[in-house]
Amino acid sequence: MPLTLKEENDSEFSKYIEPGLFGSVGITFKMMFREEWRQNIDFAKKRHVLLFPALLALFSMLITLGFPFLVGEGVPDSINPVKENRAFSWDEMKQALHVLLFMGSLGLGTFAFIGRVMVSQRAGGLNYLLAAPALQPLKLSVTYFSYYLKEVTFYILLILIPVVIGMAIAVFSTTQTGLFPIKPASLFVTFIGMILTLSQGLAISFLGSAVWTRGGYFSKLVPLIAFLSALVFALGYLPFESLIIGLKWQYTHDLTWIPLGFIASVSLALLGSFLVSDDFEHQIIERDELFLPVHKRLGFLDWGPIGWLTLGIIKSGKKNTKLRLLVTKEIVELIRSGTVKKMIVSYSIPLAVLLLMAWAVDFAEAPIPVNLLSYAPFLGFFGFNYYSWLTAIDSPAHYDGLPVSVPEVIRAKVTVYFLSTTWISIIFLVLMAWNLDAWWTLPGAFIVMIANSIYIVSLTAFLMGLRPNKAIFDASIMVWFWVGTVIPLLLLFVLSFTQGDTALIQNWAETIRAEGVNANSTGPLDVSVETRAGFGAIFAISAGITLLGAGLLRLIDFKWGKENFES
Amino acid sequence: MRHINSEEPLVITEDLSKMFGDFIALHPLNVKVFAGEFFGVFGPNGAGKSTFIRLLTGQLQSSMGNAEVLGIDVKKMPQRLKANIGIVPESESPPSYLTPYEYLYFIGRLRRLDDLQNKVLHWLDWFGMNDKKDTMCKDLSKGQRQKIMLACAFIHEPRLLFLDEPFANLDPIYQRKCRTWLLDHVAKGGTIFMCSHVLEVAERLCTRLAIIDHGKVLVSGKISDIKEADSETLEDVFIRLVGQSDNEEE
Repeated sequence: MPLTLKEENDSEFSKYIEPGLFGSVGITFKMMFREEWRQNIDFAKKRHVLLFPALLALFSMLITLGFPFLVGEGVPDSINPVKENRAFSWDEMKQALHVLLFMGSLGLGTFAFIGRVMVSQRAGGLNYLLAAPALQPLKLSVTYFSYYLKEVTFYILLILIPVVIGMAIAVFSTTQTGLFPIKPASLFVTFIGMILTLSQGLAISFLGSAVWTRGGYFSKLVPLIAFLSALVFALGYLPFESLIIGLKWQYTHDLTWIPLGFIASVSLALLGSFLVSDDFEHQIIERDELFLPVHKRLGFLDWGPIGWLTLGIIKSGKKNTKLRLLVTKEIVELIRSGTVKKMIVSYSIPLAVLLLMAWAVDFAEAPIPVNLLSYAPFLGFFGFNYYSWLTAIDSPAHYDGLPVSVPEVIRAKVTVYFLSTTWISIIFLVLMAWNLDAWWTLPGAFIVMIANSIYIVSLTAFLMGLRPNKAIFDASIMVWFWVGTVIPLLLLFVLSFTQGDTALIQNWAETIRAEGVNANSTGPLDVSVETRAGFGAIFAISAGITLLGAGLLRLIDFKWGKENFES
Repeated sequence: MRHINSEEPLVITEDLSKMFGDFIALHPLNVKVFAGEFFGVFGPNGAGKSTFIRLLTGQLQSSMGNAEVLGIDVKKMPQRLKANIGIVPESESPPSYLTPYEYLYFIGRLRRLDDLQNKVLHWLDWFGMNDKKDTMCKDLSKGQRQKIMLACAFIHEPRLLFLDEPFANLDPIYQRKCRTWLLDHVAKGGTIFMCSHVLEVAERLCTRLAIIDHGKVLVSGKISDIKEADSETLEDVFIRLVGQSDNEEE
C-alpha cells in the first residue's frame, strides 16, 4: 500500500504532512544527480566529460605500471639492484594516495559555502535544487544531505572508478608475468579505501564549512582547528591513519573499518546538514561606502602595462578605466561577500603548514636538497584554487546587458588575484628565507614565485574562463592544464635542487660587496658548473613562462571574446 | 458551489513585524484573512509586500509577533505549512538544470501526490508547455519559467495560495486563464493571498485588500469601503494614501 502523506479530510482540499528525511532524500538525490550531470554536460561537450574518466584511467594505469620501479619490487635486480635504494615503501605509497585524496576531498567538500552562494543567487539567472526549501516542504538539512550523497556518488563515478579501472588494466595485463607486485585482490581493498577516504574528506569539509557559516566565533574556530589539525598531522605528532579511516583500512585490512568509516562519514555529513544555517533570511545590511574608496586606491591600474613595469614612472597615455572599474567591483564583492576571509585562510593554511614543516624538519638530513627556490613554484600553483573562488562569488550574467566583454572580466579577476595573494606569497617567502637562513636566494625566489603566479593563473583563466570549477572536468581542458602546469613546475622543482647550497648567489653577492662597482661575474667563485647551469635554467624558465603567461592573457580575447556571460 | 465558512480565519497575524538590522521592513501588523477570500496587498516598490508574504509562508523569521496560517504556527512548523499551501514567488525561477517535467515530478513526489504522472502532464498542457517539457528551465523564457512556478503552486491544489506578482511575466492570454482559474478556486472555497502593485488586478479580483507603504498598513477593507467618493478610482486612492505616507516619512 503506497504511503501517502495526505490526511483524511472531509473538505474539498487535502491536508498534507511534510515529508520526512527518508521520504525526501531519495528523490532529491536523484534529481540533484541529474542536475549535476546536466551542469557538467552544459559546460563541456558530453564526449569531453566522458573523456575525463578515460584519461584518469589511462593515467592511473601508467602510474600502476610504474609502481614496481618506485617500490623496488617486481623488477629485475639489474634495474633496481639494492632494495634499500628504492624511492618509496608500500606504506608510503598508500599514504600518499590517501593523503592526496583526502586533501582533495577537503577542498571539494565545502558545500555550505557553495550552497550559500546558490541560495543567495536563486532569484538571479540560475537556480538549483539546493534552494528548493525556500518554497517547498523540504528541510534544508535534507537538501544538504542529499547534496553530500550526490557529490560522493558523482566523484566515485567520475574519479574513483576510472582510477580503479586503470589500476585493474595494469594488474591484469601483467598477471601472467608473475612478477607484478600488486595482486588483483588489492584492487578491491584500494577501491573501498578510496571511497572511505573520499566520503570522510567531503564530510569533514562539509561539517567545517557548515559550522563556519554560523558566523561569530565559529568562523574563527574552524580555520584555527583546521590549521592546528593540519600541523599535528604534517609534523607527524599523529599518524595519518589515525585520521583517515580509508588509510587505516588499507594498512590493516580489518573489515570493521568499513562500516565504521561509512558510519563516521554519514554521521559527520548529517551533523553538517543540520548545522547549516538557514540562508533564506534576507538581511538588509547598510554598509559604509566602499566602492569609491577602493576605486580611488586603484589609480595605478590606469597606468597600463608600461606604467606597471616602470612603477608608474612612464604612464600610459590612454587610461584603462574599465579594468579599474571592474577590479573595484570584484574587490568590493570579495570583501562584502565574506569570501576574502575564506580565500585567504584556504591560501594561507597550506603555506603555513609548509613553513612549519620547514622549521621542524632538518633538511640537511633529507635525501633531496629542498631549498627556498623549491617552494617558490608551488606558490603559483595554489593560484588555481584561488582563481576558482574568485569566479564563484556572484553570477556574471548581469554583464550581458552592459558594454563589458568576458575577456575584460576574466582579466579583472586575474588582476584581483594578484592584488590579493601577492602579499601573502611575499610574506611566506620572507619567513621561509628567515627560517632556512637563505636570504641570498630570496630575490630569485620572488622572481620564480611571481613568474609562476602569472603563468598558472593566466593559463587557468585562458583555458577555463569564468567557470574553472566545471572546466576542470572537461578532459581536453584538463589535459592542457596538467601538461601546462606540471612540466614547468617539475622542471623548476628539480632544478632548484642544484641550488641547495645557494653558493652561486652568495658568492656573487660577496664579490659585489668586496669589489663594488668593479665586481665581475667571473670573480672568485667556488661553484660547480651544474649550479651555474641550473641557476641559468631556472631564470630562463621563469622568463619563458612569464612571457607565455602574458601571451595567454592576450589570447583570452580570441578564446573568450565571442562568449556571453550566461553560457 | 461548496459552502464557504467565511468566518474561519486562515491567516491570523498578531503584531507581526520584521526588522533587518535597524531597518523596519514591516511594522507590527494585525491581519486576518478568511476562508474564501481573495485578499490583495498592494503598495509601491519596496513597501514590504514581499516581506509580508515571505513571513506568512515561513520563508522569513519574524522579528516580533506571531503568525498562524491554516491553523499552523508559521515559526514552529514552516515545513508543515509549505506542504499545505502553494507559493508563487516574485522573482525565483525553477532549478535551471531540470526540465519542467522533472521539476513538477520532483515537487509531486515530495508532496506524495496520487496520480502524479497525469497531474504533471495536465499542468504542462494547461500552461501550453507540452512542447517545452524536456527543455532545461534555464533555456526557457521568463514567462515560461513563471508558468512552471505557477504550475508548482497549483499542482497539489492547495486550499490557500500565496502569490507575489503572479502575472508579471505572463502574456495576456495566460493572465486571463490564470485569473479565471483563481476565481474558480475561490468559488470552490479556496483562498488567495496576493501581493501586487497592479491596481487593475485588485479591481478585477480582490474581495478585500490592504494598501501598505513603508511597512505600514495604510488602509484595508473592501474596495468600496476605502474609496472616499464614488467617483474616486482605486488609482486615486492609492496615490492619495501613498503620497500622504511618503510626506509623513519625509
